[in-house]
Amino acid sequence: MKITTDSLVVEYGKLRALDCVSLPIHSGEVTVLTGPNGAGKSTLLGVLLGLIAPTQGEVRVDERLIAAQGHFAPVWFRRQIGFLPEAVAFSENMTGRQVLSFFARARAVSKSRVEYVLGWLGLENAASRRVGTYSRGMRQRLGLGVAVLTEPDVLIMDEPTGGLDQQGLSLLWEVFAEWTHAGRTVIISSHELSLIERRASKIHIFTAGELRASGTPTQLRVQSGLPMEMRVGPGLDEVYEAILREKR
Amino acid sequence: MTRVAFAIVLHELQERSRDRWVLVVTGLFTLLATGISAYGVATEDYSAIVTGPSLVTMATFLVPLVALVLGHEAIVGERERHTLGLLLSLPVHRSEVLLAKYTGRLLALGLSLALGLGLSCLFLGPGQRQVVLGLISPTLLLGAAFLSVGVWISTACTRTATAACIALATWFLLVFIYDLALLASLVATDGALSQDTITWAVSLNPAGLYRMTLMAELIGVSSLQELGLTVALPGTIKSVAIWVGWVTIPLAAGSYQLSREGSGR
Repeated sequence: MKITTDSLVVEYGKLRALDCVSLPIHSGEVTVLTGPNGAGKSTLLGVLLGLIAPTQGEVRVDERLIAAQGHFAPVWFRRQIGFLPEAVAFSENMTGRQVLSFFARARAVSKSRVEYVLGWLGLENAASRRVGTYSRGMRQRLGLGVAVLTEPDVLIMDEPTGGLDQQGLSLLWEVFAEWTHAGRTVIISSHELSLIERRASKIHIFTAGELRASGTPTQLRVQSGLPMEMRVGPGLDEVYEAILREKR
Repeated sequence: MTRVAFAIVLHELQERSRDRWVLVVTGLFTLLATGISAYGVATEDYSAIVTGPSLVTMATFLVPLVALVLGHEAIVGERERHTLGLLLSLPVHRSEVLLAKYTGRLLALGLSLALGLGLSCLFLGPGQRQVVLGLISPTLLLGAAFLSVGVWISTACTRTATAACIALATWFLLVFIYDLALLASLVATDGALSQDTITWAVSLNPAGLYRMTLMAELIGVSSLQELGLTVALPGTIKSVAIWVGWVTIPLAAGSYQLSREGSGR
């Protein structure tokens, strides 16, 4: 699946949230949108999710038009999407299992898949507790569970690393690996480039609604002209995971 | 109804059944309705003119408040929890999301009312029991109208606190101020307003129409006239049109508002 945006413009009154953005998004890759607050990352995700209609330009999926001036992405495309919103909270009165079961019912997913996902998230012991008692990281993990519940072709995540502990991050990296291995698409917006960069296939840098630079992490380093630095040894996150594995 | 909409209805019903506010209000409504029934039974001969009308008066004040509060965070609550995008990105039309949320909350309100009025029947004889059970449908209709307004408020607001303030102001305006304003206009015009105008003005407000219709039905128009209250009810078609308008227009406005959200300029 190839998603292409062509001269995409989104305006809110006088504010131009996206300014003539053209970029390709390939399947089998982790595409990262980054930039400061208000750069237009979430707006672009909103267009793909069918939450925001472009003011100008268009979005195509395998040459098929899915969003154009004043038109939201259609239901058939939204069926193929899993979404993790930024800092998702869910209703405090519901249990983790009830939240997942609701999305499973809405998307025709079996109960056994709900139990599998709860186990995979490490939330099986907290599944019958109200979401109101969850930590931020647990809520984020639950949101990750909602996003991957249907094993969608396109996974869209807005600031997915926010609030996640190392265990949550490991789950996220697992999802990235599984999705790219299966030739599916992962699109994320993130501020935390240091966490994401080693998992990113392509990075697109936005400022004030404009796409400023695109490329693989290596290409962007070369483009920047900054002196290269060589790192010897594993990253601390890898050290942490190795220690946890030893303890098990 | 699509699979997603049905799932939202069930989810809303489940969520409301765990909502402390709904539980407290159901308890309060049950307590008041039961108290009124018990008092009606104690008055023996006057039971017929005490129980039904007193329940109607209580419902006129309480049900609009409950319905508005129940509806006020339907959409804005999701917006604040960052889950509205998640809901709207599901393969479902936006108007269905709104309608499903409304339906789920209306079912929860219906269960609360049925429980409250049903339990109050335990004290009553068969005749009065029938009268009280007959109040469930019109009272639910009153709730449906105010719930629709609550959901509209919820769609229009970006913060739950703002929606709550507007919902309370709406309740105060329609349940208290409206009748007082009519009374004030009668005094100000020195009774120059015609009976028809007053009847129309009262019946345009769902709380007024509910109270006027049920009081006339329970006590009888002639008994009300003996008390000095002249009641000229609007015809069936007009009444139906007013109820349909109060339920559908705010929902349609909310649905339009939600469908425009994110449409850029």
